[in-house]
Amino acid sequence: MHIYVDIGVHAFPEGADTPKRLNLTAYGLGFSQIVVTAHSPYWAQFPDSSLPLGVEIVAATVRDLRKQIAYFRDISTVVSVHGGDERINRAACKDDRVDVLMHPERGKHSGINQVTAKLAEKNEVALGFSLDYFWKTEELERSRFLAFQRRNVSLCQKFGVQVIVTSGAYSHLDLRSPRQLKALARLLLLTDGEADIALSKVPLNIIKRRAQKKEARL
Amino acid sequence: MKPLAPTLRDNHRYVAFRLNFEDPVTARDLKAEIAGTAKSLFGDVGVSKLNVRVVAFDGTKGLVRCDFRHVPEVQAVLASIGKIKDNRVCVTTIGTSGTIKAAIEKYLQIEEKIRRIISSYVTVPVSGKAVRICGKEIDIIPEDTETIDRADVQFIGITIDDNERLI
Repeated sequence: MHIYVDIGVHAFPEGADTPKRLNLTAYGLGFSQIVVTAHSPYWAQFPDSSLPLGVEIVAATVRDLRKQIAYFRDISTVVSVHGGDERINRAACKDDRVDVLMHPERGKHSGINQVTAKLAEKNEVALGFSLDYFWKTEELERSRFLAFQRRNVSLCQKFGVQVIVTSGAYSHLDLRSPRQLKALARLLLLTDGEADIALSKVPLNIIKRRAQKKEARL
Repeated sequence: MKPLAPTLRDNHRYVAFRLNFEDPVTARDLKAEIAGTAKSLFGDVGVSKLNVRVVAFDGTKGLVRCDFRHVPEVQAVLASIGKIKDNRVCVTTIGTSGTIKAAIEKYLQIEEKIRRIISSYVTVPVSGKAVRICGKEIDIIPEDTETIDRADVQFIGITIDDNERLI
């Protein structure tokens, strides 16, 4: 039996539900654990330090990205980067302090090419596929994102890049069960086995690796 | 016309689902949304293969019939529903079965928690008016609407553990 983990969930005050409410709903859906990730501009608004909190770094420039990675790597459970811009995508894949590059396709193009994929594989940066566009966007935009993600999945399969699948939820109404996420992942041409790994083994390894790195530095 | 022999009939699967919503949804709206989403995701040819049809819906739980080879596609269709007539919803699949009887016995006989309407002002963790309580879940209409606008919902969701004064 798999232990399913969602590491791309946004809680109050950034999202609409408190972490406890999201946890309650996610547990009912079949997740063993969720990791609340805050976009870096909202990080300071999370006062509860007991919460395992990941960060999704939003950076305008590569220099800013490096600065923020250096700041967050010791204090957050997961360091992910808000993708979209091709320069940011590439810089994130180049940096072994980054755990996940989230939704690189949210720009003009798919955001990943063979060079970026090789860098991601070398530095053990996982690619995050956020599936919230399925229920948040309409036909044309949805098909565009789907095409970009399919292309990225085929690159990841070719170059052995780790993949994670997440709901990118901002409220309990955005959370989907692992079974539903796997059904959607099939549309991205991920096999059931790959989707299982993307929902369980890879996120767990990321959390474990980040904790080990933190311990080693302390 | 002579009916088809049992061995020549289509094989179906019944997917049981639960609907989470902000405002109640009618069966007619749900059927239209499922048909629209299926068409948007798979096109006319795809929908004809899925053979998807809502068999039953009681307001919170229901059954969808589909072709036995296309259950994951139907699960994807249900997962892709985020709004019904500007009302935020979430359709969660509970399980799949080969007959209506088995689906009802296995998945649809679980009692739903009762949703109660309340009216109470709260300040922790967000200031606003608590309007609904369902089990441990509480929905709040906040004073500051920035967060709910960002998440495109009507309520802030908290639990009883977040605000023990509301027990």
